[in-house]
Amino acid sequence: MRVGRDPGTGIGNGFVKAGVMTLVYEEATDFGVERRCHENSVRALVPQTLVQTQRILLRWARDLTTIIEVLVLPVFFLLTLNIVLGQMISQVTGHSALYGTVPMNTLAAAINGSTIGAIGLIGERDDGLLRRLWVLPVHRASGVLSRIAAETVRIMITTVVVLAVGMMIGFRFQQGILASLAWLTVPVIFGLACATLITMIALYTAKNFLLEAVTLVHLLVILFSSGFLPVNQFPTWIQPVVAHQPMTYAVDAMRGLSLGGPVRWPLIATLLWAAGVTAVCIVPTLLGYRRAGTH
Amino acid sequence: MRATSTAGPHLSTRAQWWVLTTRFIAPTLQNGELALTIASSVVFTAGFYIPLHQIMRTATLGVASSYAQYLMPLIGLEAITFAAISTAFRAATDSVQGLNRRFRSMPIAPLTPVTARITAAVYRCLVSLTVAVICGYVIGFRFHRSAVYIVAFCVLVIVIGALLSFGADLIGTATRNPEAMTPLLILPPLIFGLLSVGVQPVEQFPHWIQPIVRNQPISQFVDTMRALAGDSTPFGGPVTWSVVAPTLAWLCGLAAILAPASAMVLSRRA
Amino acid sequence: MSTGRAFDKAVIVDGIRKTFGEVVALQEVSFEVGRGEVIGLLGPNGAGKTTIVDILSTLSRPDRGHASVAGYDCVSEPAGVRRSIMLTGQQVAIDDMLTGLENLVMFGRLYGLSKSTARTRAKELIEEFDLVDAGNRRVKTYSGGMRRRIDIACGLVVRPQVVFLDEPTTGLDPRSRQSIWDLVSSFKGFGIATLLTTQYLEEADALADRIIVIDHGRIIAEGTADELKARTGGSYCEIVPRDFNDLLVIAETLGSLLPEKNRAALTSESDRIAMPAPDGASTLIEAVGRLAAANIDVADVALRRPSLDDVFLALTDDSPEARIPVPTEVIG
Repeated sequence: MRVGRDPGTGIGNGFVKAGVMTLVYEEATDFGVERRCHENSVRALVPQTLVQTQRILLRWARDLTTIIEVLVLPVFFLLTLNIVLGQMISQVTGHSALYGTVPMNTLAAAINGSTIGAIGLIGERDDGLLRRLWVLPVHRASGVLSRIAAETVRIMITTVVVLAVGMMIGFRFQQGILASLAWLTVPVIFGLACATLITMIALYTAKNFLLEAVTLVHLLVILFSSGFLPVNQFPTWIQPVVAHQPMTYAVDAMRGLSLGGPVRWPLIATLLWAAGVTAVCIVPTLLGYRRAGTH
Repeated sequence: MRATSTAGPHLSTRAQWWVLTTRFIAPTLQNGELALTIASSVVFTAGFYIPLHQIMRTATLGVASSYAQYLMPLIGLEAITFAAISTAFRAATDSVQGLNRRFRSMPIAPLTPVTARITAAVYRCLVSLTVAVICGYVIGFRFHRSAVYIVAFCVLVIVIGALLSFGADLIGTATRNPEAMTPLLILPPLIFGLLSVGVQPVEQFPHWIQPIVRNQPISQFVDTMRALAGDSTPFGGPVTWSVVAPTLAWLCGLAAILAPASAMVLSRRA
Repeated sequence: MSTGRAFDKAVIVDGIRKTFGEVVALQEVSFEVGRGEVIGLLGPNGAGKTTIVDILSTLSRPDRGHASVAGYDCVSEPAGVRRSIMLTGQQVAIDDMLTGLENLVMFGRLYGLSKSTARTRAKELIEEFDLVDAGNRRVKTYSGGMRRRIDIACGLVVRPQVVFLDEPTTGLDPRSRQSIWDLVSSFKGFGIATLLTTQYLEEADALADRIIVIDHGRIIAEGTADELKARTGGSYCEIVPRDFNDLLVIAETLGSLLPEKNRAALTSESDRIAMPAPDGASTLIEAVGRLAAANIDVADVALRRPSLDDVFLALTDDSPEARIPVPTEVIG
């Protein structure tokens, strides 16, 4: 029974009566908060990471703008590209343009999503939420791992959606189960590497500059890739640049895995690019993340 | 700051507008915004022209003297779209942060802050357009008509930019989260741009989409801009009313929608 | 906590020194907080209050010295510290895209509760903080007072030993502020120590058992509110004459009771006399007696204590004149 409770304030005077204390948690039994070992134990890591991953995913799922930018726009862009260039490309290459544009849009969706994730991270830093989460008794790595896990889940979802639309307009896997599964993992690898890069930029620069600069680079990467036009349709002088760009390699690998054609070299090149970008960015990103959490 | 003729602190709307405008323009010279504006024009020119000019040449042979001449209007439009919308989103952060509310309690005419933001967007559009035209000259575009037409070309582009920035400002203010909308900067204009006559003639599109392509506002703007820019003979006929009218109609329509929308949004979201 | 280390003092700060590059944020700061004590941390902006809280909540490390919270050393046993504290900052740090209940459940799970326990606990807290109607709405839609409540609720899903409240009532309406005050008072009953940073001196006055005043990284005063007030000259008598021309006459009448300094401080614009009252009420009675005997008409006579504002200004002002209040206008 709480006495003197003022409904307006909710926390009434004199409600602290001995024996009725839901305000402060009385652990009648040992709920194992202490019994569970040290904060940095691996056993605690998984559930704690899952909780934080769930939080991030809920955030994204509930924001309409995020959904539009990460799902709707890539789908529309896929359709647009096929309308505008589809015929021309299939005349020139002999096969449907979809085998280039569908992969490209899964990759573009991954980049879009990373940008939004980075914006959200900066927002949480500025709001003080990162700081508060840092001071919780959770495994020190769970914060970063949860971000990576959330990115992975998001990339997988956007990839599947773009793929589904692609399949509706004619995309088909023609190389068997194993290759198709490999196809699905390429955007994840590519996307995580991009996320590392974009997050690093976000943590170290001013927001607006980052956003606009990233969108411009994004545009260049899309337009100068083999997903937009076959490499041999570009002017000769720019073909080397187009051919060795990370997105071209990723699109080519995915084309090989779905339609047929060289797989090994593009895939290796994609992995090399991803590994290289991650290697350069991972340490600054982690440091920046830690700084964001403790300030 | 220019004071009015009467002595003492006279509240000149013009002066206030100028203060607010410079507030947006001054930082751009340092924080990289200017560099980005210039870069965006270059990126759009390179990104559209280089990949496409070879593959599109045959399609546009009968319509323009060079692909550069054909493509230039769209490049200009894309560049100022980027400039206008990004400025608007930056500035809309103001109202989200409650600055607008403060302005409203000061003796400032209600439209002044918005007008200042749009002026800043126009400034950025001017820079953007100038660089785009320079890049256009690099790839082979030329103005073929008299100065009057060149001015009309530029005015048209700037007006489009102003209207766009106004609309984006409203959206940014209404959603209270303008930064999250920045990724919208690239894809929607790109989608509209690709689905217009800016990149290839109408006949190249599948039949079922041709009506949309023909009638969407970007196509109308592009047609008018091409007419104003002119072309070497035998292309580039005279600037006729039928070319210009649809564009003007779209602009008036946009303005007509934006005016009451702004009244609603700006009064609600102080 | 039923488990956890036994400890004597909730917070021990011993000789902490912290510099940021060239700036010395804290120099040789030492203090202690006992169980169930509420300590008010006062100081101007940049004095070092936030740095102390950062060090105690394991967000930052001191260059020298030791700090411990609930028996755990802040540097070598940060995990133990994190298990024992609750930290709220000036901003409300909650995920505003989640509902109130979801936030509580999340914090509960991150504090180590099982899913079902966390849910039960969340419901308890929602009710306790009178947010039942709003529990399933996103925090984004909450009002300022509600946000602060859910913010604090999320810190109470398990029992902390030490609570750090950084300006908790800034920007709140008086009602919400009162409820936060009640909350802090109730912490005492549970033996929870509170370190309260505030700029509202009345808040420190009302809540804190002891006040620590910090300026430029150094503790310049420590004590109860009363002790601090006494340091700045203690009580004084305020005499307001009905006719301002009588001021000099009154000064004469008071004679030895009115020190030379105060007499000299009277100007033609003074509207009252402030006189130190070292014996408290006795001095007042003496003064009234003398004035009555001289038949001087007086509008108001009162025994006043310096407010914490005066204390604060005096302490951080550091100039000798500030010690003896010679008010020439109405003090708020």
